[in-house]
Amino acid sequence: MAKDVKPTRKELMQIEDRIDLSERGHGTLEKKRDGLIMEFMDILDQAQDVRGELSEDYERAQKTINMARAMEGDVAVRGAAAALQEHPEITTESKNIMGVVVPQIESSKVTKSLDQRGYGIMGTSARIDEAAEAYEDLLQSIILAAEVETAMKKMLREIETTKRRVNALEFKLLPELYENKEFIEQKLEEQEREEIFRLKKIKEKKEAEEEAEKAEAEAEAEAAAVEEPVASD
Amino acid sequence: MSIGASNPEYVNARVRARRAALFADEDYRKLIRMGPSGIARFMEETEYEREINALGARFSGVDLIEYALNRNLAKHFHDLLDWSEGRLYDLIARYLRKFDVWNVKTIIRGIYTETSSDEVQNDLIRAGEIDDSTIDRLLEVDTIEDAIETLNATMFYEPLLEAFDTYEQTGALVPLENALDRAFYENLLADLGRPQEGPEALYVEFLEAEIDFRNARNALRLARTGADLDPAAYYIDGGVLFTESELSRLVTDYDELVSHIADSRRYGDTLSSALTQLREAESLIQFEHALEAALLEYADTLSSSYPVSVSAVLSYILAKEREVENIRAIARGREVGLSESEIEDELVIL
Repeated sequence: MAKDVKPTRKELMQIEDRIDLSERGHGTLEKKRDGLIMEFMDILDQAQDVRGELSEDYERAQKTINMARAMEGDVAVRGAAAALQEHPEITTESKNIMGVVVPQIESSKVTKSLDQRGYGIMGTSARIDEAAEAYEDLLQSIILAAEVETAMKKMLREIETTKRRVNALEFKLLPELYENKEFIEQKLEEQEREEIFRLKKIKEKKEAEEEAEKAEAEAEAEAAAVEEPVASD
Repeated sequence: MSIGASNPEYVNARVRARRAALFADEDYRKLIRMGPSGIARFMEETEYEREINALGARFSGVDLIEYALNRNLAKHFHDLLDWSEGRLYDLIARYLRKFDVWNVKTIIRGIYTETSSDEVQNDLIRAGEIDDSTIDRLLEVDTIEDAIETLNATMFYEPLLEAFDTYEQTGALVPLENALDRAFYENLLADLGRPQEGPEALYVEFLEAEIDFRNARNALRLARTGADLDPAAYYIDGGVLFTESELSRLVTDYDELVSHIADSRRYGDTLSSALTQLREAESLIQFEHALEAALLEYADTLSSSYPVSVSAVLSYILAKEREVENIRAIARGREVGLSESEIEDELVIL
């Protein structure tokens, strides 16, 4: 990298500007990464709770449906399920957590009262009610888990991207800029030293020339003084 | 007490032979240790051979067992209606109309969900009074309105017609299903009066218990759900446990409702342990289990008190239903991985 850099003052100033910008960006990204990690940890706790509840709800739903299928028969359970009139509806919106757009899932008609399930109450049993209720709870848990886990995955992806950016600034861009800056500074210092040396040399040469001229003039003057008395004779 | 031109002697003689073919307790204990395929093989060597063989090409696993059980049940109950005459026929048919309710509900649900008639047909149990040709015609109709019209010669026509407007307004099957159930329960005791002794007294007592238990179950479910439902709409007349106003009042107070059942002279002792559990537990299932067991205790007394009467026939019907429910419970229980003790404790009523 340093080899491609022109060792000029203008370039040095540009690099210094870039260093300043990168350092500020690095600080901001570090703060963003830390903030995202904190948000992620909160969501992770929530996701773990939701996952636990989801497993419990799933087991309970399976148990109740198994019991209902065993005691009422598959045909009766299927028949009660067929009577369902209003199916659950799901709408998704989005919210922003530190720049990350995560889904917000709204559900309706998931949990139903006894009369909203469609099957007649007189001809069915509590086993069917409990199986329906357990599956309604399970569906709620699935919707919540979908929301939380999607948010978690998006946050994780954003943390990874931010981390990569921070690392790129910290371990690649900034060291290179510092190296380039140092390279230019060294080159400029070297150029300065060379210039001083060159000026010194010129000065010495000039002084030597002046000395020589002076000596020559003196010699000519002496020679002229010697020839003058001979002519008068 | 006159039972009209009926033939209880003949029917009971045939029923005794059928009763002897029912599974014994040790058969259930064997079945509990088998998997679904083992249960199907076991059934192939018993009373259910014909149904297992007939359905074996179309179904497998527990579905085969369940459909074979339903078909066998339908065959036996159909025979009972074929054999019986006069007053006896009327008394048996009253109870077996619960299968008519089942079939009409299944067909209506099929129309509602646009399920193919072949699939719906598999789920029917043709053990009721509605003849096969009417059921076949019902399977062919495309709208619920046409289905109701097809039932115009049955006792379900008027109640369904009345409930149809509500169905059209709400779009939910609840009013139609409730109308069918209500018609069945209210017809159970119609014109029977309250005989004090004899086989019909026991028969009436059993049907009253059936209605009382249904009212109790529905009241407890309504009390727990918290939904804004009119309790009177779910009250079935004919029992001794609740009056309509009592039920409407008790549904709003769960503890008082449980106390009311516990204080009942007729059922308090039989259900006391289940009621104690009910006060503590979240679930109604154990209580329903206790109600089913209590009904079966009634059934056992029916057969021994008047062996040549409608009571003995009803006792056989209940024993056969219990057998079908137990085998299905074992097979489904094994299929879904329940342990032997879970099946014994929670499912099988011996």
